[in-house]
Amino acid sequence: MTNITLSVKVNARDYDLDAVRYAAYAVSDAAYVFIKPAVGGVTVEFVPKNAAAKNLNARFKEELKDEKLRVSIFDANRDLREFMILKALAYEEVPAGVRQEDSGLTPEQEKELDALIAQVEGEIKKESAGNKTNDPLGITRTWEEKYGAKNGRKKK
Amino acid sequence: MAQKTAAKKSKKITSVLPQVLWRKIGANYLLTNDSGHYAWLKEKDFALVTAGGMTELHPLFAELAVKGFIRNRLDFNDLAAKWKKKNAYLNYGPGLHILVMTLRCNHKCLYCQSSAAGVGDKKTDMNLATARKSVDFAFNSPNPGITIEFQGGEPLLNWEVLKGAVEYARKKSGTAGKELKLALVSNFSLMTEEKANFLLKNEVSLCTSLDGPKDLHDKNRICSSGKSHSDTVKWIKYFQKRCKKQVPEYRVFKPSALLTVSKYSLPRHKEIIDEYVRLGLEDIFVRPLAPIGYARRLWGTIGYDAADFAGFYLKSLDYMLKLNRRGVVIREKMATMMLDKIINLQDPGYLDARCPCGAAIGQIAYNHNGDLYTCDEGRMVGWEGDDIFRIGNVFKDSYKKVMSAPATKVCVVSSNLEAQPACARCAYKPYCGVCPVYNYEVQGSLWGNIPSNDRCGLFKGILDTLFTLLKSPANAEILKKWVTK
Repeated sequence: MTNITLSVKVNARDYDLDAVRYAAYAVSDAAYVFIKPAVGGVTVEFVPKNAAAKNLNARFKEELKDEKLRVSIFDANRDLREFMILKALAYEEVPAGVRQEDSGLTPEQEKELDALIAQVEGEIKKESAGNKTNDPLGITRTWEEKYGAKNGRKKK
Repeated sequence: MAQKTAAKKSKKITSVLPQVLWRKIGANYLLTNDSGHYAWLKEKDFALVTAGGMTELHPLFAELAVKGFIRNRLDFNDLAAKWKKKNAYLNYGPGLHILVMTLRCNHKCLYCQSSAAGVGDKKTDMNLATARKSVDFAFNSPNPGITIEFQGGEPLLNWEVLKGAVEYARKKSGTAGKELKLALVSNFSLMTEEKANFLLKNEVSLCTSLDGPKDLHDKNRICSSGKSHSDTVKWIKYFQKRCKKQVPEYRVFKPSALLTVSKYSLPRHKEIIDEYVRLGLEDIFVRPLAPIGYARRLWGTIGYDAADFAGFYLKSLDYMLKLNRRGVVIREKMATMMLDKIINLQDPGYLDARCPCGAAIGQIAYNHNGDLYTCDEGRMVGWEGDDIFRIGNVFKDSYKKVMSAPATKVCVVSSNLEAQPACARCAYKPYCGVCPVYNYEVQGSLWGNIPSNDRCGLFKGILDTLFTLLKSPANAEILKKWVTK
């Protein structure tokens, strides 16, 4: 490994391994990158491929910082994004003539889907009926359900 | 008083970012999102918005909110509708059907991606039965509008079959209830008045190659007659004349031309554009060379890297904008297609830059023998002896089988930008696309290595240029006109 020209220690408390992996991939145009376990994190070793390997350290650190921000934004929005795309797909209008009778599912898959829908509907019914295991603190119950009707006493 | 306090409080709503992508260009950040909206932020504003510190009082807040960059101000219906419009192609099957009438060609272009056969090699001609079967197959696509493009080699070398295929397709469209567009890509060297009349009567749109002034064109596009440029120019003028004199019986389309940029073109952007303007062509497609087919073998002589092309592209665009300011109508096709995505938030049908790419699900290439390929580039790889992109044969395989062929699936998966680590994080993801054939030919894998991929560098260069130009109101006004329908 005499070709190694750069080695960077990354603290696991500052960056998770996925962020290190992506930052390493982002600079893979300029260097072969080796990620090795080290005490408290990982060591990242670079073997430059060509002259484009200038400022490798700075580029890697910049990518790492960017990726940390990206991970936090992506994580915070994963559910929202999936919801948005599902909504968009559901909005999709299939032009006349393109619509096909065939759902694309096999009879087994159709059955499985029906069973899944029935299961979800059952769970929703259970929840709306005030299932205690799903609402141990009784948050979904009204004040009256929990403590009875107000007695109408006035402040003295 | 209470109302005033409430109003003050509401002004302090701070920004939280929804899913966004960004790219630092110079001192500024370009923000984009899944719906295709974009916004420019200065470094301090980017820091502010990512830290959740931008309040409603900030001058950019309203713009960012409307464009879907403020999480607690998202208009779900609007953003979903825009996403739907931008990705409408996901609901259709292949719309472009490329019929290779013959692999023979009377040109020997330096960069030929078609890897054409010699003029005498008639065994690579498509016969009428295969042409008809190919047309039938194209009509199987659930896409309500299909385009059949006749290509080669030089398709006019197989005129009788081409003629038969046009007649058959027109007849079939009458009963199939689909919109049919027919297109011919030809070097025009074998065009005659009789052929031209037939093509115009059948509303076949015509496209040729024009690489610039005579000396440059003839250097790139070598023809035994030595008059490739003069033949091309003669027929461009002819079809333009016919277009101006429209007749009531059928619609005559304007002829169009494609520019392929070789190393020899790089110092000559002005002359090339002037040649297009001189011939009255209003669109110029500044296409980069790809190291596929013959071009791959000659890459050292005629090829260049992404930075060289980006420089050429920027100079060309700059010159075209200057001409536009003087009242000359000239548009760059690649820019027009990208701007359609950026400004109109819609898909222009550019199969090379979408997610997943157009391979098989957007286009199919029909080889002379009825073999089907994911795209014309995939067909060229097959011609070189590697059938990795073959997805079936018109005589043997059903549409359903072709759509679920291993090569179809792998192209869809490998060109899904969400699964490409670099693309999934790139600000240009809403407008861009990768090419599994390019990756395979150049980098040895369908996924490729995007950080070192020259095609990626090339697209980034083009998009950097366009977004930077859009920052200037004067340029933006012209560029927006290019995509005003």
